[in-house]
Amino acid sequence: MIHLGKRTKSRIVSKGISAGQAQNTYRGLVSMHPKAEHSRNYTQCDSLLIGDRCGAHTVPYIEVRNTTSKVEHEATTSKVNEDQLFYCRSRGMTEEEAVALVVNGFCREVLQVLPMEFMVEAQNLVAISLEGSVG
Amino acid sequence: MLEIRNLHVELEEGGKPILKGLDLTVEAGRVHAIMGPNGSGKSTLSYVLAGREGYVVTQGSARLDGEDILAMEPEERAAAGLFLAFQYPVEIPGVGNMTFLRTALNAQRKARGEEEISSGDFLRLVREKARALNIDAEMLKRPINVGFSGGEKKRNEILQMAVLEPRMCILDETDSGLDVDAMRLVADGVNALRDAGRAFLVITHYQRLLDHIVPDVVHIMADGRIVRSGGPDLALEVETNGYAGILGAGAAA
Repeated sequence: MIHLGKRTKSRIVSKGISAGQAQNTYRGLVSMHPKAEHSRNYTQCDSLLIGDRCGAHTVPYIEVRNTTSKVEHEATTSKVNEDQLFYCRSRGMTEEEAVALVVNGFCREVLQVLPMEFMVEAQNLVAISLEGSVG
Repeated sequence: MLEIRNLHVELEEGGKPILKGLDLTVEAGRVHAIMGPNGSGKSTLSYVLAGREGYVVTQGSARLDGEDILAMEPEERAAAGLFLAFQYPVEIPGVGNMTFLRTALNAQRKARGEEEISSGDFLRLVREKARALNIDAEMLKRPINVGFSGGEKKRNEILQMAVLEPRMCILDETDSGLDVDAMRLVADGVNALRDAGRAFLVITHYQRLLDHIVPDVVHIMADGRIVRSGGPDLALEVETNGYAGILGAGAAA
């Protein structure tokens, strides 16, 4: 994200999902140029882990070349936990349906701002990529 | 409907025995209450019946209409008509309450070989059931249990029960953390579901809830077993004498 002009604003939301033995890394540069005074960036990185052999890493790069800009970064890591899965399954969902539901909940913030067709596509993609990733 | 025979259960980690030869039969159309002091194994019983991991059944059986439920996955038990209202309902961020209910209902219908419910029918069904429990449209849209108050969580459990229409309902301390009004709403919700084909197992510490949901049979549980069974009067006896009084008398007799 490169800020060139005065009082420009940007927001980055990254959602990473790691299953099996996957390692997921976020690297993102936010650059505030000298003329981009009073500019703001907010970056949010959420990671979701499925299972106990995967990991998530967040590496934010920040370059600020003026004294008036604000750059914020927040990162969270959460796990799909057994309690959530058991709760879903006790209501009749299979383990895979339960994982897909929890994961789609996690991505919702990002998916819901996509156009309808993309959202449905993305949800299905998530479900397909998760097939066989549990147990 | 539910038949538990000589059930022995221990914790997977450490092997501590929790249930030590529990016998219980719940007939269709009846409401059974289980009372007992902390640590007597009440919640363990509800979790084992629902199929939560972390427990090992070392002896005994549990059957729902003759079918061995202990051999089933949790979702198979749900499709067979078993429902557990959680003591601590779980939060799932980003998953709308309605979405959750609909996914659950359709999963059960699919497992039973039925058609998925149409959006219109589902909406009507949920709205109708929600109204009786004083659950508004806004609460149906919020992520399930996230930021719900204690009363909202418990009411939501009863809503799920009303929509999924299980035959064997287990309520695990559904009264804990409820004020008088919320308890009445929950009790009314349960009473509305009472019918000849459905059975309830109500687990509670206190007699209070049983003023509203009047049980047919009351069991007292202690140290992993049912130590006494009786009519609704037994619950009143607990209130007056405490568990110590009843358990002491049982040992003497």
